[in-house]
Amino acid sequence: MNMIDIDLEACDGCKICYKACFVDVFRWDEAAKRPQVAYPEDCVQCNLCELNCPTGAINVIVDWNKPFPSVLEHGPRYPE
Amino acid sequence: MKALGDLGIVHDTEVLIVGGGIAGLTAAIATKEKSPATQVLVVEKNFSGWAGQANKGAGVFMFLGPDDPVERFLDYHTHNIGCFLEDQELLALFAAESQATIENLDSWCHTFCRNADGSLAVDTFKPGLPWRLAAAEHDTQMKAQRYAKRLGVDFLEKTMVVDVLKEGAASGNAPPAAGTSRAAGAIGFSLLDGSCHLFRAKAVILATGGQSYRIMSMWNGARGDGIAAAYRTGAQVRNAEFGAFMQLVNKRSKEPLLGAEDALYNAKGECLSSWRREFEPDVDSMAGAVWYREMLAGNGPIVTHNDENWLLQHTTKRTEKGGHGDDTPELWNRPKAEAFWERLLSKTAAADGRGPVSEVFPGFLGEFSPVRVDHQMATTVAGLYAIGNTATSGCAMAGAVPASPGRIRGKALTSSAWMGIRAGAAVLDYVGEVPPGQPDADLAAALKKQIFAPLRRHEQSRGPGLEPIDLVRQVQAAIAPVGYSIYKKKGRMEEALGLVLEAQGRIPELSADDPHHLAAANEARAMILCAEMFYRASLAREESRGWHLREDFPERNDAMWLKWILLQDQDGEMHVSTEEVPVHHYPFQP
Repeated sequence: MNMIDIDLEACDGCKICYKACFVDVFRWDEAAKRPQVAYPEDCVQCNLCELNCPTGAINVIVDWNKPFPSVLEHGPRYPE
Repeated sequence: MKALGDLGIVHDTEVLIVGGGIAGLTAAIATKEKSPATQVLVVEKNFSGWAGQANKGAGVFMFLGPDDPVERFLDYHTHNIGCFLEDQELLALFAAESQATIENLDSWCHTFCRNADGSLAVDTFKPGLPWRLAAAEHDTQMKAQRYAKRLGVDFLEKTMVVDVLKEGAASGNAPPAAGTSRAAGAIGFSLLDGSCHLFRAKAVILATGGQSYRIMSMWNGARGDGIAAAYRTGAQVRNAEFGAFMQLVNKRSKEPLLGAEDALYNAKGECLSSWRREFEPDVDSMAGAVWYREMLAGNGPIVTHNDENWLLQHTTKRTEKGGHGDDTPELWNRPKAEAFWERLLSKTAAADGRGPVSEVFPGFLGEFSPVRVDHQMATTVAGLYAIGNTATSGCAMAGAVPASPGRIRGKALTSSAWMGIRAGAAVLDYVGEVPPGQPDADLAAALKKQIFAPLRRHEQSRGPGLEPIDLVRQVQAAIAPVGYSIYKKKGRMEEALGLVLEAQGRIPELSADDPHHLAAANEARAMILCAEMFYRASLAREESRGWHLREDFPERNDAMWLKWILLQDQDGEMHVSTEEVPVHHYPFQP
């Protein structure tokens, strides 16, 4: 899965990363005023959190070996 | 009899818009600009302005300028893209209003690239095509959302709408005949705390995007919520057999390689792109079929030669500084869009490398968008509208291609905005005539039970149960293989449908430990339903036409198949029927 590396010291608590995510990876910790990477397994590297972070505190490290459905293999009757 | 308020938090509005992407936002703005007193509520699963697909692609908008004849566009479209399955009247209307749509959107957002004289900065996708491209900066949706807010549109974020609510016998009037009652709201839940939310409305507009089965990265948010909700509430769907868009993608990053189909080679060094004419409008499903046949013949891997890829060269030039020659300024100055692409490309280059040859395979995008709507964007259920990629194939303006873009880059954004504006006007006429909606509370209670079942199952069982992602992967395995969904054949499709129905049989095992996974579970249900629609319609169309390629019926059959395939729920069964395309009333015939 992707790793979303956040420098919580650099973070200024603006919430943009939480709002920018279109697949609900982040949750917001209201008490700490910091993002939580709640569902990193769903991250699809659109990079909008990283790009829009005003303090550059986020780095999305992409795992290019995430599960991906085969487009050739299907059914037992067809060669792999 | 239950009251709606016993089931959860009730929201009252006049126009309920489900989905805060480009289509939903334009519908909201169009409604509110025309009628500031009308209450408009946008419910969004994530955050409106950020969510949706408009800010995850090229940001280009196709349109016809004053010098582009609509007739020429229709002629080209029917012969090269939609293969006479278009609703030509609707397509002509769209084409004629396409530039006004862009100007409208720009008057709200001010994000379009313009020349020094104020005219739109215009390019062509490929020379000779009868349409043009304009480009907007990457924050168009964001600015549309802010404008909508200023107009008084209400927003509810982080809330997933799962089903449409209809009026029942309890509305005070005579009991409606089965399947004829009007849409009067919706039901869903908060992704943050799992609370149940119910919406009472005079009209509902579904704008949740299409179905892309969570496979490709930038299409990942399109999970078919609105399509499934429309179907389950009795709406008809149309052109479901065309919902299998694919693009050739880089092997490792799985990011699309635009134009790769024009320069394909097998491991023997044989060129595989001979079927491509000069300046095809865009990729077609034959690229997938060619890849598939060569791989099965043992001629893989399949590669593309990037130096022969005209589109890749042209696109790169278009975005480079001084791209149209050293002494001309940049055509489209879009710092935010450029930053987005540079970030993505630098990461994918680390995965794929940047050599002259790239190994590719067909990445399955889906873009399934079959909810049937008329020229006012109304579905077959009273009070229920659908726009954007929830209904782009279903409105039939694109014909025999997945939509959007079909085979027109930049069509998705223009057509979504156009559909939104059109729905906004139509819905105002409708809400002016009907009383407030009174959703059937018993129906709502039954739907609530079904929506929340995976959470209950988790609480009641000790084991982990069936995780939604496992069911999603089962659907992906039934839809992504080229031999199932792109290069079709009866036996293979029956096998794929069997896998889909097997997945359907496992829905009662779904288990979710929190609202995020509850959303995934309800999305998995939508994916299964969409995949079933796709295969039932694909099996019915016994010919090849446009993107629908059948190995067992390789020819187009105009005598038999100038018909739309329709699907509708009938007592829990997916009923298949056909309707003649009124092609003889249209300007162009085969």
